[in-house]
Amino acid sequence: MNHMKNYLYANKKSTIYLLVLALLMGSVIVAQAYLLVAVIDGVFLQERSFQEILPFLGGLLFILFARSFIPFISGKIGIRLGSEAKSHFRHRLVAHFSNNPVQASLKGQAGQKVSVMMDAIDEVDSYFSSYIPQVIRSSVIPVIILMVVFLEHVNSGLIMLITSPFIPLFMVIIGMQTKKKSEEQMEELAAFSGRFLDTLQGLVTLKLFGKAKQQKHAIQTSSLRFRDATMEILKVAFTSSFMLELISMLAIGLVALEVALQLIVFDGISFFTAFLVLILAPEYFTSLRELGTAFHNGKSSMGAAKKVEEELALDEVSAVTWGETPLSKKEEPVQLELQGATFQYGEDEFMLRPIHITFAPRTKNAIVGKTGSGKSTLLHLIAGIMLPDEGSILVDGKPLTSYQEADWFAQLGYISQHPYIFAGSIADNIAIGNKQGTTREAIERAAEQAGLADMVGELENGYDTYVGEGGRGLSGGEKQRLALARAFLKRPAIILFDEPTTGLDLRTERILQASIEKLAKAATIITVAHRLHTIKDADRILYLDQGRLVAEGTHEQLIQRVEGYRKMVMVQRGGQR
Amino acid sequence: MKELTFVMRMMMKEKKDIVLSIVFGFIAGMAAVLLFSASGYLISKAAFAPPFYTLMLVIASVKLLSFVRAFSRYGERYVSHRGTFTMLSQLRMAFYEKLEPLAPGIFHKYRSGDLLARIVGDVESLQNFFLRVVYPPVVLALVFMSTIFFTTFYSFQTAVILLIGFLLTAIVIPAIFAVRQRAIDSEVRIKRASLSTEVTELLYGFRDLKIYQQLDDKEQQLLQASESYIKEQAKEERTTLLNQSLNQFISLLVTVAVLAAGAYLIGKDELDGIFLAMLIMITLTVFEEAPAMAVFPNHFNDSSRAAKRLFSIINQKEKLVHKEDLVISEAPEIQMEDVTFTFSTEERPAVEGVHVYMPSGSKTAFVGASGSGKSTLMQLMLQLITPDQGKVTINGTEMASVQQESIWKAANVVLQENHFFYGTIRDNLLLANDTVADAELQATLRKVQLEHFHLDDRVYERGENLSGGEKQRLAMARAMLKSGKLWLLDEPTSSLDAVTEHMVYEHLFREAADDTLVLISHRLAGLEKMDQIIVMDEGKIVEAGTFATLMEKQGYFYEMKKLEYNLL
Repeated sequence: MNHMKNYLYANKKSTIYLLVLALLMGSVIVAQAYLLVAVIDGVFLQERSFQEILPFLGGLLFILFARSFIPFISGKIGIRLGSEAKSHFRHRLVAHFSNNPVQASLKGQAGQKVSVMMDAIDEVDSYFSSYIPQVIRSSVIPVIILMVVFLEHVNSGLIMLITSPFIPLFMVIIGMQTKKKSEEQMEELAAFSGRFLDTLQGLVTLKLFGKAKQQKHAIQTSSLRFRDATMEILKVAFTSSFMLELISMLAIGLVALEVALQLIVFDGISFFTAFLVLILAPEYFTSLRELGTAFHNGKSSMGAAKKVEEELALDEVSAVTWGETPLSKKEEPVQLELQGATFQYGEDEFMLRPIHITFAPRTKNAIVGKTGSGKSTLLHLIAGIMLPDEGSILVDGKPLTSYQEADWFAQLGYISQHPYIFAGSIADNIAIGNKQGTTREAIERAAEQAGLADMVGELENGYDTYVGEGGRGLSGGEKQRLALARAFLKRPAIILFDEPTTGLDLRTERILQASIEKLAKAATIITVAHRLHTIKDADRILYLDQGRLVAEGTHEQLIQRVEGYRKMVMVQRGGQR
Repeated sequence: MKELTFVMRMMMKEKKDIVLSIVFGFIAGMAAVLLFSASGYLISKAAFAPPFYTLMLVIASVKLLSFVRAFSRYGERYVSHRGTFTMLSQLRMAFYEKLEPLAPGIFHKYRSGDLLARIVGDVESLQNFFLRVVYPPVVLALVFMSTIFFTTFYSFQTAVILLIGFLLTAIVIPAIFAVRQRAIDSEVRIKRASLSTEVTELLYGFRDLKIYQQLDDKEQQLLQASESYIKEQAKEERTTLLNQSLNQFISLLVTVAVLAAGAYLIGKDELDGIFLAMLIMITLTVFEEAPAMAVFPNHFNDSSRAAKRLFSIINQKEKLVHKEDLVISEAPEIQMEDVTFTFSTEERPAVEGVHVYMPSGSKTAFVGASGSGKSTLMQLMLQLITPDQGKVTINGTEMASVQQESIWKAANVVLQENHFFYGTIRDNLLLANDTVADAELQATLRKVQLEHFHLDDRVYERGENLSGGEKQRLAMARAMLKSGKLWLLDEPTSSLDAVTEHMVYEHLFREAADDTLVLISHRLAGLEKMDQIIVMDEGKIVEAGTFATLMEKQGYFYEMKKLEYNLL
């Protein structure tokens, strides 16, 4: 909870405001009671005239206005605090995500991270907007009331003081019981809660097997059993409210009884005091109960806060920091060199062993190896998306990160297996990264070269057709060609290419092969290869096995020298896997 | 509103719980009012040192009332929640009943799994409809009316003031805010959707953004979207806050009004001073129930939106045409003539001008890259969709005029994504045929190389605890158990290794020897024994023939084969 506490500490001012408002609120509650009692006492016992009590009524009006206005203001402060907290934590998460290159390779968890970014942060709101203000209010107001009651009539104060610890005590006991109960019912709950969704998702299957009609009663049964399991838990919660209500009611009753006895039997106090105590007692217990509710509700937002904090604490890998040296785009591509570069995802996890290698300008290089041999990791290191743990990557003899970030990426192309299509037009997607500096002609030429023009031509809106999230779907081959068009437009000096593992349609396959050929004329190409012709065509092949660079050389050399390579290329081929 | 009426009708099936909730709620509310009025009266009476026994009587009734109140509050909560959950079960059933005939057609309109999750969420959110929208106002109205009636005995003016306060806090203000809230709500949802898109793109498109130096821009866009979402949320919260504060202010104002009126009337000797404390206590207590109405606008809007969305799904009337019940007892023959189909969300046809003839007992393979239209053809053969142009016939009858069920009855289907239900392996297999004995189930598991599975093994929702290959083999076992005469298999072995695939196919071809079989495959190995291979590209048939003829022709198929051979 440190991030939350720190954040709250950083916003001390708001907390102080809330505290002041809570003190004011306490005073207003007391003042309201005084004025109410004064008026009633005045007209009832002192037989004051209406005119005489008018000022009191005026004061009461003002106090009541304050009583609804103060929560309004403190509510507004809470909302502001919550909004700022959400913004603050979203900023931090965004910074965290983009400084954490490893996450690029943890694609599987992206969905979970989206939910942290959206839902968990939204829930953090109530921690600041309702939990904190409520806690402040509920710890200040009862104390003020209690003090006033003690001043007015010690016995009532004692009754209230003695009975009040029962409330938190009961809440703790009941909280534990609820937890126990819900753990007992966990399996039932899990089994039945998802049943409706499960059935809906399997509706096509059910229909194909002619079993859809029968499911209606299965839904009912599981719904009802879910209800019964839930009611078991709720019963505990309701019993708790019952007990709390009873305790506070009995305590108020006790207070009333005591003041009544004092009033008539012992004549110890005045009507004024008795009535005042009677009005303040319920306010006191209500405040205490609200504290309990606040703790209860605070739990869920604390759970969300914990998720956010866990995310922020996760693999805080040092971000890639770039230098100032300019790297201009020259006729001749740069020379790339890896000097003992290593990388490990975490303790006991996959590790890329030290790699020494030089990529000469305008060469075609193929990286070959089984799944999990470290091919993609190597590609990410070369791209400068991840930083090697040890060793270095040199560009024209100088460390890669000594150059300006923009200059480096301006030279780099990366064609992945699953290019990401952003929500936007096809033209925007091709021009990604260079929207201003690109003419429509250039985009269309790139699309033409990537064999995308025919497909676009068939669309009603052509290059303005909306694709990506919420837009038109593209087939795997079309996405691949779109990525090629991006490369044609950018004309990078270094191209990293993650070749698709499965066959695409023949047309895309041909275009892919021809395009790489074309792009290679002016660039250094490093391909994670899955096709025999790519390997045969390469100037040099790097064979990786379990994170180690086992061998390098041409296809013929490796076939002769390396058994693992031979097996992989000769035996496991042709969809016979 | 029409939609909510339907939900209301569903609710009414739980009359007992509804009535009990209202009764308990009413008793709890009244007990509180009486309790505090009694103590107000007690205190005033005590000021005059009355005989002791009258006081004892009042004190005893105060105690009794506090017990009654706590107890009936418990009863109200218990009954209303139980009723709500029962209603949810009714709703789920009613909704399922309406949705079932629309499937699977409906899933093409909204393809994603989102739809189903949304349905479940919407049904779930309707639980607040009874709990927070329907019965609390009823209870509130009853408590108020009774209290107002009670006060008329002491002061008519007080009763009128209470009535005005009730109208304002329980009807006028909630109604105004319900309208205001609605506009803000929809704005919040729009902003949320756009933030969600930004977040998704940043996380999934991270690498491309980085390489193309768009990361900073994207971050800025995301943060901007976040700011405007937060702003809109704050606006919503502030509206709710204003609603609550206003409601409270009015109820407090009523207290002052009652006090002023009382004081005035006492001065004119029209009211006995002993009742003033009681009237004030009544006012303070009865308005404590009013904040329940402050959450009313939100829940009302949520419920009506949920109901509207649910019914927009099931209200799509399918044309009811009388369709033939075709009995398919022998291996059927299927023919496609000039079939074209375009998904409603797409511009380009998924399949175009397809002619295929699959004689009774023949084995046909469809091959082609992903997105070439193979699976669409299979959906057409299952009559999950109907062609826009051309026709599909089965045993000479046009499929569009045949009941879907009669085709499904005859078909052993393995889809690309196969659903498995929460339960056991046995439950999931018996889906295909519930007359089969355990021994045969076990034998079928052996055929698909799943002999290590026990029939009692647990399967989680969607078969989450099964691997891709296990799911495919289990789906194959389910198809084998069904013993229909038509096999429709969509990439049934894509996650299996070559050896297992080979063994599964051995059994398959033995079982299907006399049946009509359609196999969609992106792998080209093992297609030698098919009677015909149909090669698809961009929705069209580019080649057809046996393995040998296609290889000889050295056309598209031959190239694909070469490419596959080329793959590492």
